[in-house]
Amino acid sequence: MTNHTPAASADDAPADIREMLRLSQQQNEKMTRVFDRPTTIIVLTWGVAWFVGFLTLWSATEGNPWFRTPIVPAGIVFTVLMVAGIIVSAVVGSRTSRGMRGAVAFQGTVYGISWAIACMAVPFFGGALLANGMSPELAALFYPAGYSLVVGILYLAGAALWNDKPMLGVGIWIIIVGIGAPFFGAPTNYLVMGLLGGGAFLVYGVWLVLRQRRRVARYSRTDARAAVN
Amino acid sequence: MDDLDPVIHAQARLRITSTLAALDADSSMSFPRLQELLDMTAGNLSTHLRKLEDAQYVTVEKTHHGRTPVTYLALSKTGRRAFEDYMETLRAMLGPHA
Repeated sequence: MTNHTPAASADDAPADIREMLRLSQQQNEKMTRVFDRPTTIIVLTWGVAWFVGFLTLWSATEGNPWFRTPIVPAGIVFTVLMVAGIIVSAVVGSRTSRGMRGAVAFQGTVYGISWAIACMAVPFFGGALLANGMSPELAALFYPAGYSLVVGILYLAGAALWNDKPMLGVGIWIIIVGIGAPFFGAPTNYLVMGLLGGGAFLVYGVWLVLRQRRRVARYSRTDARAAVN
Repeated sequence: MDDLDPVIHAQARLRITSTLAALDADSSMSFPRLQELLDMTAGNLSTHLRKLEDAQYVTVEKTHHGRTPVTYLALSKTGRRAFEDYMETLRAMLGPHA
């Protein structure tokens, strides 16, 4: 919590008007952080999950020329990372609008539920295809592409909901990578997913963190400049 | 020069209205979440909310989550307009000094 909270006895009184403007901006900035932080957490989580998960899968095949990870642990690591990603997305999304009602809460809840439904739909669909004769080779192409489509579209929906242009870019990128990767065939598609998909999430996440830092630094010295605007 | 609205022109009440103004017009926030975001004591927050409610700047809705009573607060249309006017006046007053 901030150290700027005025003492109870003082806060009934107005401060210097410059200080009043700063107080209001500070509180406004805090609210922006409340709504922005979940995006950063979700993006970084998927960055780690895809980067580590897909590279581990790739390393379990003959694709990795340097070393080989055993297939079963690799599969477990991948599954655990994907499930963790889904849980983090849903929990963080629903906690954002904690204690809020109205459009803001409805959007947050629906978005969180959308992640859970969409991410569960992919393995069910894959299961149906497997039951109807999809080969493991094809499955290796289907799952990453299926997840990319779902995640990409969820990002597009998020961009529309929160008027978030960088999120729009990420959504389009994920769909391009996800649909492009199968053309490389298995297991190279895992490498493409890990580096271009997971890597892109990580770069975007770091950029979000840096933007946040810049904004915090800016508002603490805006008083003079805000007055000009 | 316009005078600053005395209902908003107190540190605590400006911080409260700034927080609620960040929500959509039809959204509201529970008392505990607002308290957490403002880092104020419950008693202090109640006192200031009452003043804002008396001026009809803030609407208070008491409801239940299961058996727990919860109070939701929102900026009224009047309150939002007053907050925007306040910020405009504040910026105008600071303008010549910048």
